[in-house]
Amino acid sequence: MHKRVLVAVLTVFVLAGMSQVPASSASGEVVSMRRLTEQEYRNSIADIFGKDIAVQGVFEPGKRIGGLVAASAAILSVTPVGFDSYSKMADSIAVQVTSEKARGRLVSCKPASAAQPDDACSAQVFGHYGLMLFRRPLTGDELQSRVKLAANMTKASGDFYTGLRYGLASLLQSSNFLFRIEVAVPGSGKDYRLDAYSRASRLSYLMWDTTPDAELLKAAQSNELGSPAGLAGQVDRLMASPRLDTGMRAFFSDMLQLDTFDNVSKDALLYPKWSVQLAAAAREETLRTTIDLALHDNGDIRELMTTPKTYINRNLAAIYGVPFNFDEEWVPLDFAPGQGRSGIVTQISMLSMFSHPGRSSPTERGVALMDIFLCEPTPTPPNNVDFSIVNNTDGPLKTVRERLMAHATNAICASCHTHSDPIGLSLEGFDTIGRHRGTENGQAIDVSATIQGKSFVGAQGLGRFLHDNPKYPACVARKLYSYAKGVDSQDVEPKDFKVAYKAFSDSGYRMRSLLKGMAESEDFFHAVPPVAAAKSTKLASQ
Amino acid sequence: MKLDRRFLLRGTCQGAAAAMALPFLDCFLDTNGQALAATGERVPTRFNTFFYGLGLTKSLWVPKTAGLNYETTIQLKPLEAFKKKMNVFSGSRVMIDDNPNFQHWSGVGASATGISPSKTGLFDSKTIDQTVADVISRGSRFKSIAAACAGDPKQSYSSLGGANNLPAEASPLSLYTRLFGPGFQDPSRGDWKPDPQIMLQQSVLSVVAEDRKRVTQNFGASDKARLDQYFTSVREAEQQMAAELKRPDIEAKVTIPTAPDEMVVNSALPNMRLVLPLMARLGALAMATDQTRVFNLSISEPGSQMFVPGDPLGYHQSTHEEPLDPILAYQPRVARYNVYSMELFAAFLTELDSIPEGDGTLLDHSLVYGFTDVAFAKIHALDGIPVLLAGGASGRMKTGHHIVGDGNPVSRVGLTVQKAMGLSVDSWGGGSMETKSPYTELLA
Repeated sequence: MHKRVLVAVLTVFVLAGMSQVPASSASGEVVSMRRLTEQEYRNSIADIFGKDIAVQGVFEPGKRIGGLVAASAAILSVTPVGFDSYSKMADSIAVQVTSEKARGRLVSCKPASAAQPDDACSAQVFGHYGLMLFRRPLTGDELQSRVKLAANMTKASGDFYTGLRYGLASLLQSSNFLFRIEVAVPGSGKDYRLDAYSRASRLSYLMWDTTPDAELLKAAQSNELGSPAGLAGQVDRLMASPRLDTGMRAFFSDMLQLDTFDNVSKDALLYPKWSVQLAAAAREETLRTTIDLALHDNGDIRELMTTPKTYINRNLAAIYGVPFNFDEEWVPLDFAPGQGRSGIVTQISMLSMFSHPGRSSPTERGVALMDIFLCEPTPTPPNNVDFSIVNNTDGPLKTVRERLMAHATNAICASCHTHSDPIGLSLEGFDTIGRHRGTENGQAIDVSATIQGKSFVGAQGLGRFLHDNPKYPACVARKLYSYAKGVDSQDVEPKDFKVAYKAFSDSGYRMRSLLKGMAESEDFFHAVPPVAAAKSTKLASQ
Repeated sequence: MKLDRRFLLRGTCQGAAAAMALPFLDCFLDTNGQALAATGERVPTRFNTFFYGLGLTKSLWVPKTAGLNYETTIQLKPLEAFKKKMNVFSGSRVMIDDNPNFQHWSGVGASATGISPSKTGLFDSKTIDQTVADVISRGSRFKSIAAACAGDPKQSYSSLGGANNLPAEASPLSLYTRLFGPGFQDPSRGDWKPDPQIMLQQSVLSVVAEDRKRVTQNFGASDKARLDQYFTSVREAEQQMAAELKRPDIEAKVTIPTAPDEMVVNSALPNMRLVLPLMARLGALAMATDQTRVFNLSISEPGSQMFVPGDPLGYHQSTHEEPLDPILAYQPRVARYNVYSMELFAAFLTELDSIPEGDGTLLDHSLVYGFTDVAFAKIHALDGIPVLLAGGASGRMKTGHHIVGDGNPVSRVGLTVQKAMGLSVDSWGGGSMETKSPYTELLA
């Protein structure tokens, strides 16, 4: 008997969900498959089930490619170790959602009997959460398999909610949830365009770092996202929300490589003030400064290199050498000109991430900042370089600068060091944990530098140099585009983000204009269909 | 009685599932009502890897004479207690062919896969531990386990190929939880019984695995491979559950300790000296109780960031910046770091050797492949990359030898390892390092 009910329910559901899907994802070309990052996963679960659902488990690490971890999400898969963890997390989330405490809020229907299968109710629950988790409606078969699983588990346990739990757990560990699968369909002419649901996902993860909300999914279902006006309406709505902060924090964390902090150790003997708390605070400081300037003040992104404004807490105040007599945890601070600080390049985060445990490194700092802000990676040094002279602090060369310069007289070394070192040398007024200093091994530190024909002095000179360098805002645009699409920033052509960049520069480098210009440009949802694996690429046929 | 998951799901137990709990369990009991017990199989041979960055100092580690009874060298001194239980290989070559010498990576790739890597940070094939695990891990709970003693899950040189390294457990607590947390049942206890929960979870996995048939879109080649990898991982989880339903055949005389505390895990040597023995012990216990037969332990990234507090340079910077001592003709500070690596290796072997098993120890029933990224870190030289091989592989590996590689590819050691582990393989490696010649003199 219940089989007939199920068919009826499914038919209604599938019709409601599927009939209006334009060029449904059921037959498209997969153009990108991105593993959710830890933050995307956490945000998605919190938005779908509520913030009180605990997510406990280990996520597989990403890799930085072209300056962004986001690009690696498109080449990494799920290993057995990762799946084991995802599977346990899925079950733990499902247990919480179907618990007596939460089910009143999270399960939208009541079964006819709490001890019997109720296919209509479970189909309703899986249909709803399936749409949220997969970011598209479930296919009839996907739904039916879960309803059947739940019924079997309910019969085995004598409890409807136990059945729901297992059905939900199966959705939560599905490849359709763990990967953002972007599907393209033929557009006008030869090119391909993302289908409506894939557009919704790309917008949502870019703007809010989370799964599309109900309204965005509705806009996908009605194909509102297919029209320029409809798209603009949704882009404006997403950008007007305070949740844009979350999305841009995720982007800037990736671009500024703030995840590097997870593995920074400092020598506790030489730098006893360094701690995990300090590292976390330094990361937060940089994000606060950046989001404040870019979004809250709608400022010129170039000023991120020069602004005296920052936020500090007690830990940071000790390193910056400023008093901290406040009750609040975080307070705004304007550095005085004499303190030698200049925007985020002189914040503790950037200074300490790219240094050795016991010593500052002009080379590491230079290489990192060239890559992060100017999109100019430095080639790896030749294999057989003799660095001995750089190290000998007992010899006549007292400062790192003198020693580096000696090393860079070698023509092969010089080609790269003249590229990366000047930036780092101008930051030598700060030690490996970002404290200001005037001398090194008893000798005054020279912080002058010349790069690409421009001479400047110290961190403030560097900040001005970066501020005025047109490569910097172009690099921000390139990184945002690569982040949004999940591609290697080194493979991106300037024409790919030309429209967005024009909106950016026309606005005086406001982040919001860049975002809007990018999301609304024709190119953003354009896709190149993949070269098929073989004639029969459908996995179903194997 | 052999238990097969399909049988359980689709056979008589499927019916029993409707009535839950007790009848459920009957599937696993023999006619006398005993949990399926040991079948008397012999102790399995285990495989381990130990990775340390930045190599050793040639003049201080290579023994003067070849063969048996060589005189222990300064840098092998920490391993002296295991001299008769291990082999050392000097003079091995890494042939990079047309690829660049990727600094601190080409040697890792060559040692772990026998193939010169074509990209930095990526392995061009599955690593040796996974090749071995494919054969020896059938029936154990985890196909393999990786642990990183400097606290970074990315410090794993165990890979399915490409970018997909198997992340390492990065603290003693997380390693403990994975091995002995939920899902673990101590096989040495008398009241071992299968957990009916597992059956339910198997049904969930079955639906997830069948999603593969529901995929309707077209995938490009690389994304299809990634999706295949995902479904392979699902299948491995199914195999893990099947193993959890069966009492391990092995009789281990060990006690599983309580969970270790949270601790600082990083590249500071004093912390590593605390963390490594704990991780090694947990790995050894996991193998003794047949939770896994493959255990990979690393102490660093390839350009090791290990540092002694107070040393502003640390290990990696020292290798590049410390001058050669004009009299000694080596880098004294680097040489000390080399020795620290060997001390940590010895601490690992000590844990393996401390677990008695049948006529010997766990180490005697294991093979431990110790490898690194470079032969001479200062200039990233690869020729003469050291390989250390410990354990007797249950008598299949003769030990106590110093093998002089004489410019032979490092892959010969890897092939020897696979032969000793009982793999039916005739050649290993790629390009100039493809070899069909194991060190037959070591194979018993």
